[in-house]
Amino acid sequence: MPKPNHHIFADGELSRNEGTLRIDTLDGDTEYLPVESVDSLYLHGQIDFNTRSLGLLNEHNVPLHVFGWKDYYRGSYLPKRGQVSGNTIVEQVRAYDNLERRLQIGHKIIEASIHNMRANLRYYDGRRGNFSSAVNELEELKQTVASTASIDDLRAVEGNARKAYYACFDDILRDPFTLQKREYNPPSNEANAAISFLNSMVYTTSVSAIRKTALDPTVGFVHEPGERRFTLSLDIADIFKPILADRVLFRLVNRQQLSISDFEDELKGSLLTESGRMTVLEAYEKTLDETIEHPRLNRKVSFKTLVQTDVYSLKKHVLTGEPYHATERWW
Amino acid sequence: MVQYYHVCRRELWFMSRGIDIDRQTTNIQRGTHVDKTSYSDSRQSFMIGNRIQLDVLDSGDVMEVKVSSTLETPARMQLLFYLWFLQEIYGIEKDGVLAYPTERKRESVELTSETTERVESTVAGILGVVSQDEPPQLEKKPYCESCLYQDLCWM
Repeated sequence: MPKPNHHIFADGELSRNEGTLRIDTLDGDTEYLPVESVDSLYLHGQIDFNTRSLGLLNEHNVPLHVFGWKDYYRGSYLPKRGQVSGNTIVEQVRAYDNLERRLQIGHKIIEASIHNMRANLRYYDGRRGNFSSAVNELEELKQTVASTASIDDLRAVEGNARKAYYACFDDILRDPFTLQKREYNPPSNEANAAISFLNSMVYTTSVSAIRKTALDPTVGFVHEPGERRFTLSLDIADIFKPILADRVLFRLVNRQQLSISDFEDELKGSLLTESGRMTVLEAYEKTLDETIEHPRLNRKVSFKTLVQTDVYSLKKHVLTGEPYHATERWW
Repeated sequence: MVQYYHVCRRELWFMSRGIDIDRQTTNIQRGTHVDKTSYSDSRQSFMIGNRIQLDVLDSGDVMEVKVSSTLETPARMQLLFYLWFLQEIYGIEKDGVLAYPTERKRESVELTSETTERVESTVAGILGVVSQDEPPQLEKKPYCESCLYQDLCWM
């Protein structure tokens, strides 16, 4: 059973108190957080911390993800590598540098990503709208993935799939939520804002999972390593966005747990309010802890573990050539 | 390496490539704890040639401590390998003790012509596995469920 993540929303100070973490909030509250029971720590408020607290996180291999103004992802402080393996990195870069091998991995990632988008549409088909043509379109796009011979073509197929997928959101999302068009920087409306925030959470979940292996997070297969972020994390996040982000959004909106008043308009964009973010995060964390029976492992695994095992599978593929199983929803 | 060879050759191959995963699991911690806290006043650890760490009892016997006797053959082979190594490389003849403190059980282990042969074929076998380009085929074993590499192997 993986450990839970911990989120700090308050403003204040994070420090080390002997072997444990101490949080002093500006409200005058003090909270102690046993560091060994945390998988990843998230800072959402304005928090001062020092090298001693980072040292403690380091000792317990806890990554720290920092969110800044209005919860835009700022970056991660990653513990010193527990996993060092020159072999793994050499093999990962070799796989990246060989177009055939890179495409092979890229195909698996995008096929899984499209499969998971399609699974969401199938679930809502007939329930909230008629999505059969979009479902078919995604199926056809998935079929063409294997024949793409360049990374650009592969990304184009992925882009088309996402377009067809997002076009269904207006029917899936209960009024008054609409997506219209996927836009970010800044997100142009409430649905876009929620998707952006949830996607950044899936991204950090992937960052944490990759950190538990010796894989290098900067060398992705679908995304180019030149991009600013950890491109391998972007690759892995693409697989899990439909499962972890979109489903949470659909559920929250359709059960009316999230309303327009959970957002505020800022400079031509829309952003979640603090209480809106809390609602979204609570649902997200709950989803990470949900479990399903895994056919190959013969045991129940949580969605968070599923992200981890996906990364293990990729690592094994890179090192041994055994097939990589990008996670395709089977339940 | 010797133990892995007798437990699971696939695990041996992963180990030989430095493919390591979460070492913080309870099983590992339990093993380390039992090893650290047992017979601590009557044995000493020695590092030999920067590669082999073995424990020697006050009586002069070489000791191997295990949490349980389920994987008895692999543990025995590991100990026999130490004895063989001492004799072969340093010309020191020793006997061994295989100990399961939690089960309050001890067994003595000796290097004979028959066990020497088994150690030598093990060493040859290890070299064979490690020199392969690919890991040995996946194979379901009764202890897969509790193996550190479970998630890596079966994913």
